[in-house]
Amino acid sequence: MGKYLFKRLLQLIPVLLGITFLSFAMMRLAGGDAVTYMYENAGAAVSQEIIDETKAEYGLDQPFLVQYMKWLGGMLTGDMGESYVSHRDVFDIFISKLPATLLLTVSSILLTVLIALPLGILSAVRQNKWIDYLIRFFSFIGNSMPNFFAALVLMYFLSVRWNLLPVVTTDDMAKSLILPTLTLAVSMVSKYTRQIRATVLEELDKDYVTGARARGVRGSVIIWKSVMKSSMLTIITLLALSIGNLLGGTAIVENIFMWDGVGKMAVDAINMRDYPVIQAYVEWMAIIYVLVNLVTDMIYHYLDPRVRLRGESA
Amino acid sequence: MNKEKKVTIRRQKLRNNHIRGKLLFFLALAVLLLMIAAFAERLCPYDPYAQNLLEAQQPPGISHPLGTDRYGRDMLSRVIIGSTASIYAALLLVAIITVAGTAVGMVCGWFGGKVDALLMRISDIFLAFPGLVFALAVAGVLGGGVQNAMIALGVISWPKFARLARSLTLAQKESDYLMAARLAGSSTPKLLIRHILPNIAGPILVTSVLDIGTMIMELAGLSFLGLGVKPPMAEWGSMISDGRVMLQTAPWMVLAPGGAIFIAVMIFNLLGDAIRDYMDPKQRNREQCE
Amino acid sequence: MKKKILAACLMCVMTVSMTAFPVQAEDEKSFVYGTTGYGVEMGDEGLNPHNNYSGWSALRYGVGETLFRYNDNMEIEPWLATDYEFVDDTTVKITLRDGVQFSSGRTMDAEAVKECLDHLLAVHDRAPSDMKIDHIDADGMTVTIYTTEPCPAIINYLGDPYGAIIDMDYGVDGVEGTTTGTANVAGTGPYIAVNVTETQIDLVKNENYWGKEANVDKVTVKTFSDASSLAAALQTGDIQGTYGLSYDSYALFENNPDYTIHSCATSRCFFGQFHYESEIMQEEAVRKAVCMGIDKEGFCAVLMEGRGIPAKAAFPDSFSYGNEAVTAPEYDPEGARALLEEAGWSDSDDDGYLDKNGQKLKIRWLTYPGRLEQPKLAEYAQATLKEIGIEVDVNCTQDHLSVLETGAYDVYVSSLTTAPTGDPEYFFAGTCLENSAKNRSHHKIEEVETLFEQLHQEFDQEKRGELAVQMQQAILDESAMFFVSHLNMGIVTKSNVTGMAAHPCDYYEITAELNVE
Repeated sequence: MGKYLFKRLLQLIPVLLGITFLSFAMMRLAGGDAVTYMYENAGAAVSQEIIDETKAEYGLDQPFLVQYMKWLGGMLTGDMGESYVSHRDVFDIFISKLPATLLLTVSSILLTVLIALPLGILSAVRQNKWIDYLIRFFSFIGNSMPNFFAALVLMYFLSVRWNLLPVVTTDDMAKSLILPTLTLAVSMVSKYTRQIRATVLEELDKDYVTGARARGVRGSVIIWKSVMKSSMLTIITLLALSIGNLLGGTAIVENIFMWDGVGKMAVDAINMRDYPVIQAYVEWMAIIYVLVNLVTDMIYHYLDPRVRLRGESA
Repeated sequence: MNKEKKVTIRRQKLRNNHIRGKLLFFLALAVLLLMIAAFAERLCPYDPYAQNLLEAQQPPGISHPLGTDRYGRDMLSRVIIGSTASIYAALLLVAIITVAGTAVGMVCGWFGGKVDALLMRISDIFLAFPGLVFALAVAGVLGGGVQNAMIALGVISWPKFARLARSLTLAQKESDYLMAARLAGSSTPKLLIRHILPNIAGPILVTSVLDIGTMIMELAGLSFLGLGVKPPMAEWGSMISDGRVMLQTAPWMVLAPGGAIFIAVMIFNLLGDAIRDYMDPKQRNREQCE
Repeated sequence: MKKKILAACLMCVMTVSMTAFPVQAEDEKSFVYGTTGYGVEMGDEGLNPHNNYSGWSALRYGVGETLFRYNDNMEIEPWLATDYEFVDDTTVKITLRDGVQFSSGRTMDAEAVKECLDHLLAVHDRAPSDMKIDHIDADGMTVTIYTTEPCPAIINYLGDPYGAIIDMDYGVDGVEGTTTGTANVAGTGPYIAVNVTETQIDLVKNENYWGKEANVDKVTVKTFSDASSLAAALQTGDIQGTYGLSYDSYALFENNPDYTIHSCATSRCFFGQFHYESEIMQEEAVRKAVCMGIDKEGFCAVLMEGRGIPAKAAFPDSFSYGNEAVTAPEYDPEGARALLEEAGWSDSDDDGYLDKNGQKLKIRWLTYPGRLEQPKLAEYAQATLKEIGIEVDVNCTQDHLSVLETGAYDVYVSSLTTAPTGDPEYFFAGTCLENSAKNRSHHKIEEVETLFEQLHQEFDQEKRGELAVQMQQAILDESAMFFVSHLNMGIVTKSNVTGMAAHPCDYYEITAELNVE
């Protein structure tokens, strides 16, 4: 197991190298740089000499490969550089934004599971009954709605109309958390309900269920004990993917609700062409990706004897 | 016993008919949508690009069933003409990534070894690459516009199909019939195209039809970030982001294109489901066994 | 079972939302202000006036004050200084106000002002080249500034936000040393910052303020990056005042007794420049036709929801050398068409667009989406110019700067604060001369060049204004540029908020006048 883990973590290296190089190259190709944008946004005329001087200070006037190697060198010695815009240490910036994103990830995943699991099972058990159609209808709606739209609708009703919740993040974290969580949950619940329904239906068709039914085991026991256990694999895979996505920050939702997380940091950095911060974000995404894959595989190993046996024999 | 069997067969026929009926129904709807997109120009009641500030921001009424936007352009006409960009872009995009992804996946699954390892690492990089950074970079290099938004989405979406095709190919590779075909001396391209492709096409088709809806939404999302079409071209996503701030003052400017996206995504999703029900061999087998 | 879980969830949500109502102390007045104008993206994070544009924040939120301030006609008024006198062309003597204290406790005197300005000149990127200061002498309450060359606008520049006077003993560092986003300073304003971050500033009343005591005890300034959230937050009462609301949201607050809208034309001007190096733009008839084909009135009234003021030239009406002083072509599509036909353009292939010698009348319109008005203007002009027979290919990209370098554009539309210090020289120097950094036309108008030389030497304010009018007129007569609108800066507050007003210079937002009733 330790060897396997090590091997998997080794795979992180080429992915990280590839992805940082790619993003470095792409942002340079994209043109524009932090210095020019900073002066341009503020809207006043600044002479070209000043712009050139500041660029040289950041090393933006050097050839692309030199810039990349410098950055990589810094990385290897644990120095992620400092932001061109705010002059703060990139690692500090990143760490300061992480808790908000983690909190939102946890809360929206919890809410999703709490709603989607019962609804999905209910929908499967009552297949083709009105409740099933109702649940499927709403899950279709939730699935076909862009999340900024959901955000605005929720904001309009819950805050503006009924005045229950603050619009953007305030000191009262518990209340501020509700709107972004709900927004994210809308599309996730829709997706999960459908998936859980399909998985449960598939399991219900299997022989062991028929067998258990024939032996007189109660319906709810079958569902919770047997079906849920075997449906877990699918659900966990899905969850892992969603957690990966959410940890990358949800740019649009974070922006609308002024939730000061990683996604908003990324959008701001991209808008300002703040390369060191963008690089940190890209790296974070790569790490999440590899780790999520690793964790799912390990859960598979643990949960599914078939995979475990095959893995060991191979 | 005999009688009971007859009943089952009849029920099964009914069920098959039901599935086929559902498939045909959604297929018809999808075709209708495509026809609207194809003949959009002729279906518009007004010139979708004609501005008239005197009629700006009119709520839905008799002369303008879906109201007008801030330039006084008829929303209904813009929604209709917008279908061309939104639907065809998504269709084309899905077609390209399906073909490319499947090809790569089959090659990986079949040859294995270093080719597989290399291509899968590359696909890892693209899968792990944040879409946002990519999309903005593409916009920076190539400029905005539908084609470029499609390129951005295509580059980060193909690995999904590559992975799917790879695992399906791996499963097929072990099967008896393929062993037989191999022993009979079929060449590699022939094996891949004649024998493997038909057997893995089903799940891939279902995934790609379900992906059409996703892509319509993703394209809309890119437009939201200002990466979509060039003005004055109408496209649903950019229409939504354009009218977004008006949700409270002129809701029709968001609801009309939003509704259009919703309907289109729904039709393609339901079609995908219907195709799955129709093609799923497990389901068919089960019914045959009953 | 599932119902129970669901019910439990709902209960949780309900209790959380019910129990957490904000608690407010009765005797303390507080004000929460939402703005899109503060933050890293604007380059004005933190309060250190010697960093980039952060001086704007120091001035806007009542922490810092400058030696001179601008009134509503953008004329200079004394503030921390009481008087000034030009001893000769390169020497100016400034008398400081008595009894002013920094929030650090130090008394403001000439020495403190000199320390502050010396530091500004040492570290800031724009100030040294603006003011051309050679050295500064401090004596009691008199500061004497010597410039390297005649600098008639130096008093105006001292009113620029970077000129906010702060106590250098207190320092300009943020909590993490060099961090600009958390930089707090000791200023002389009616408010003192107790907490500064890149997204929020918490202020308390300055008990020792030299002027009238502030009415409100606590002020919170919060950044918003999404305009619809800003509007919604004002509706719910999360915030009581906004800056930078999108035009489309004004309808929610207009004619509504619960809200007050303060607005004022600023010197931020949206204008276009014709690219003289592009062949088609060298033809004067084409330039003139484009100028006549833009419906400024319609654009401001409908697309900017009445939040824009149609512009004739670079400066708004409130300036003595503003809009009213010049004449610009009116919107006249027929006239434009006639002009083009006279110049030999006709629609020979019947495609709706004019052509001449087989060349279609097509112009490439370059702009960027950073300012909401710019893409709207492009799309609107596309339609009005089409009626004249001019095809417009809009390129609205964030990366407009690199397109400018390649030269692949015919018209470049951008916006600029034309008179941030109330003086006209800044705009002409930066935009209209042959060597100006922002002369995207690459034009050279002899008359403008000679007039500028005079402006540069002129100390008499009235004469400076006259010169500014002549220069604008020369540019308009050449059809080298067209000016579309001035931004109408809007501050929307709950109606119980008073003492908050919009200013043409966009600086003084939170002042001692602010009150919540």
